[in-house]
Amino acid sequence: MTAFALLFTLSAIGISETVYLIRTRKHHEHPVCPIGEGCEVVLDSKYNHTFGIQNDILGLLAYIALAFITAFLVIGIEPINFWSVGMKIIVGMASLVSIFFTYLQAKVIHAWCFWCLMSAFTIWLMGIIIVWSQFI
Amino acid sequence: MKKSSFHILRVGMAITFLWIGILIFKNPEAWGGFVQPWVVDLLPMSLTDAMMGTAVLDIVIGALLLVDILTPWAALVGAGHLLIVLLVSGINDVTVRDIAIFTGAFALFNDSLPEAMRVKLMFWKKKVSN
Repeated sequence: MTAFALLFTLSAIGISETVYLIRTRKHHEHPVCPIGEGCEVVLDSKYNHTFGIQNDILGLLAYIALAFITAFLVIGIEPINFWSVGMKIIVGMASLVSIFFTYLQAKVIHAWCFWCLMSAFTIWLMGIIIVWSQFI
Repeated sequence: MKKSSFHILRVGMAITFLWIGILIFKNPEAWGGFVQPWVVDLLPMSLTDAMMGTAVLDIVIGALLLVDILTPWAALVGAGHLLIVLLVSGINDVTVRDIAIFTGAFALFNDSLPEAMRVKLMFWKKKVSN
């Protein structure tokens, strides 16, 4: 239950963060960049979309799916195994994508985006919690 | 309130409401145990149904706060909801947490109230005092 509470909390943080990024983009504003000044450079770069869909929207969909799956697992909605495997697949894929995006910031764009890094750390932390919960 | 503090409080409150809603969905009967017997007698429906309704309300409030839509009204309903919770559950070990959530929700309402609405309220307050 503790793992689920943490996973749900992190999913909710991810939702609020991606909603903020989508809202600022729709209003043609630049997001507040609490640490560093590279947010605009990264978010306006040619790598801000994947397969024609903005990365913030893909992130939002992933976090919403993870929040719902966590809720289903807590409430006990069947099929539990399907939700459990689905969660691991989404977190695994998102972790790999986050590694790639972090590499892009470091080696290609040469700028760091606070929100992108926060999202990456959020999803990696979710991965660590899932792996950790298998052993306890 | 500083803008960043407001958003930290908003997201924290959202997670609290959403998670409580999910936990009530998981076990409405157990959460119904917090409701005082005199309140159960007044309910026009079963306690389980009432708790399921509470869970839906908690999740709606949490979702609105999380995505920052209708925030003042979600916070106001949340604060009102917590006042009712304090009334119907009596004083127990978790009362202090309900007070914290109530004050947090009310602070969010107070801070997110649109300026136009604030002016209207001040005008109404002056009218009443005169």
